[in-house]
Amino acid sequence: MTLVSTPSRAPYGREAKYDPLRADNAPITTYYDQPQLKKSHWGTRVALYIFIAGLSGGAQLIATAADLAGGEQHRGVVRRGRHIALLGVFFGPPLLIWDLHSPDRFYNMLRIFRRTSPMSIGTYILSSFSLFSLMTATAQLAGWRKAAQLTQLPAAIAGAGMTTYTASLLTATSTPLWAAAPRSLALQFAGSSFGAAAAALQLAGRVDGDEAAAPVLEGLALAATATEFVGALAAERRHRALGIADAASVNTASGALYKLGALGLGTAVPLASYAGKLIGGRPRPWLMMTTALAVLAGSFALRLSVLAAGNESAQRPQQSLRFARREKVR
Amino acid sequence: MIPDEAELTAGVKIEPGKSYGFFTDTTRCIGCKACEVACKEWNLLPADGLHLTGMSYDNTVGLSASTWRHVAFIEKISDGDGRATEMAPYQSNWLMMSDVCKHCHNAPCLEACPTGALFRTEFDTVVVQQDICNGCGYCVPACPFGVVELNMIDGKAHKCTLCYDRLKGGLEPACAKACPTDSIQFGEVGELQQRAHQRVSELHELGVDSAYLYGVPNSPGATGDLGHLNAFFLLTAEPEAYNLPAAPSRASNRVGPSLSFGLAAAAGLALAAAALFGWQK
Ligand code: SF4
Ligand code: SF4
Ligand code: SF4
Repeated sequence: MTLVSTPSRAPYGREAKYDPLRADNAPITTYYDQPQLKKSHWGTRVALYIFIAGLSGGAQLIATAADLAGGEQHRGVVRRGRHIALLGVFFGPPLLIWDLHSPDRFYNMLRIFRRTSPMSIGTYILSSFSLFSLMTATAQLAGWRKAAQLTQLPAAIAGAGMTTYTASLLTATSTPLWAAAPRSLALQFAGSSFGAAAAALQLAGRVDGDEAAAPVLEGLALAATATEFVGALAAERRHRALGIADAASVNTASGALYKLGALGLGTAVPLASYAGKLIGGRPRPWLMMTTALAVLAGSFALRLSVLAAGNESAQRPQQSLRFARREKVR
Repeated sequence: MIPDEAELTAGVKIEPGKSYGFFTDTTRCIGCKACEVACKEWNLLPADGLHLTGMSYDNTVGLSASTWRHVAFIEKISDGDGRATEMAPYQSNWLMMSDVCKHCHNAPCLEACPTGALFRTEFDTVVVQQDICNGCGYCVPACPFGVVELNMIDGKAHKCTLCYDRLKGGLEPACAKACPTDSIQFGEVGELQQRAHQRVSELHELGVDSAYLYGVPNSPGATGDLGHLNAFFLLTAEPEAYNLPAAPSRASNRVGPSLSFGLAAAAGLALAAAALFGWQK
């Protein structure tokens, strides 16, 4: 318990205009170290949803790119990408409804559209992604190539939303760890989603015995994990500047998961492995497969650890009160 | 029932289309917790369980799904180096403050709610419609003051309604009516703000230099695009001592930057994919 002292001077002066910078430098006296914010209830279920949403959105985008720009040898990627996208269609909505505390009222999400709420925006992204991905997969199954080409465009656009809107979902809260880094979190999530999709396509191709697109997918996974890495660096800088202990610096399970899982498996391993191959390493299929598995595990670990570390940051009054001394954090 | 009873008890007629709120003057609070009890009684809120926190005289700790008024007790034990020996006028060595939902002008909880369960009433207050809330819980981390919370038994979000039902019946909210010292004053927001500014100058004249307002335009609490708080406070210590953020921000301001950045990154990676596929063709 801290001893609470109160100043005898006027904290903000008689007529003095409120000066956030001045407040920023003053020491913080908390209310008996009680949490100042309420944390979200999100845990494994939502982490799994964010992972699957990113994976399936990224897969739809890569399939569309392969369809539009690729050649005949890339038809396998198109087909498999459209299949992976169905993961989001079939598992996304049930996971989200399962996470509600009054699931029988889930349809009230569709009552309104609120552009200030990423959860509302996400509802429509997921709905349209599901609709158009289902249409595309059906058309492909029926062999209607033109129809699939038509519906894949809206599916891919919604897919772009799926890879990254979940970062906005976290950042548009008052939870200090998420709120402090709107842009870098978006980079991390978008990169991780693409990385996971490229890795999954690589694995699926391997299983199918079709590795024509493997070099492209490896290059793409490299670009994606590099994006994620840049995002992680930017987030760390931002957190340090705002005085928030970020996931990488806390001594909790979420910190360890972030360091080993998100940063280690999700960025360090693929960066080393893909870059090594690019600068002339020998092609070792087992290494590429292991790397793809590491990317997928890292992508899930990123979401799980960022959720947990955020919830922890909301419970630390020193951090939330320090964060709330900056008047404009965007 | 007396029609327009609030005219007698608070000197204000309650009419739809006007802005109502609370002015909570902490220099008048005696920590009796009548407001907490009146709120629980009127709104049929369950008890929070009997446990002792061992800190201060506060066993409630904070606002929750079942506590919509919470009286904070801050003991001025130390004056920095040693034991406090002087007493400030109007407050002994205790600061007491009855906290409540701020009914923010640009309310982050309302802006986050995807179902429209959280809405702005005809009295300019922020209320959860229980039959629409689906328990998504997004309003909970959105609130910069840690006010709204999910009840795990009924699966809905709950917080102060500024006694929506009483306002409809022309009654002053229960806490304000029960407060024996008028620390909680209910009324039209504009009028309350005037009254509050006057009270601050009065206190300054009496030597309470530390008095200032929290939540009126251009003051701590009303920062980061929140506009103003319909339920605002007169404080005599830093906001943080009362567990209030000095400069809370509007969460929805971060939607644009993060969404545009994320989409740009996704578009860039999609283009990279197209380029790689085209190059290998
Ligand atoms: S204080 Fe919190 S719960 Fe109350 S209106 Fe503001 S954002 Fe909503
Ligand atoms: S829990 Fe209920 S009130 Fe809160 S954001 Fe979700 S639907 Fe709206
Ligand atoms: S009823 Fe009034 S005096 Fe009593 S604790 Fe509440 S605000 Fe303070």
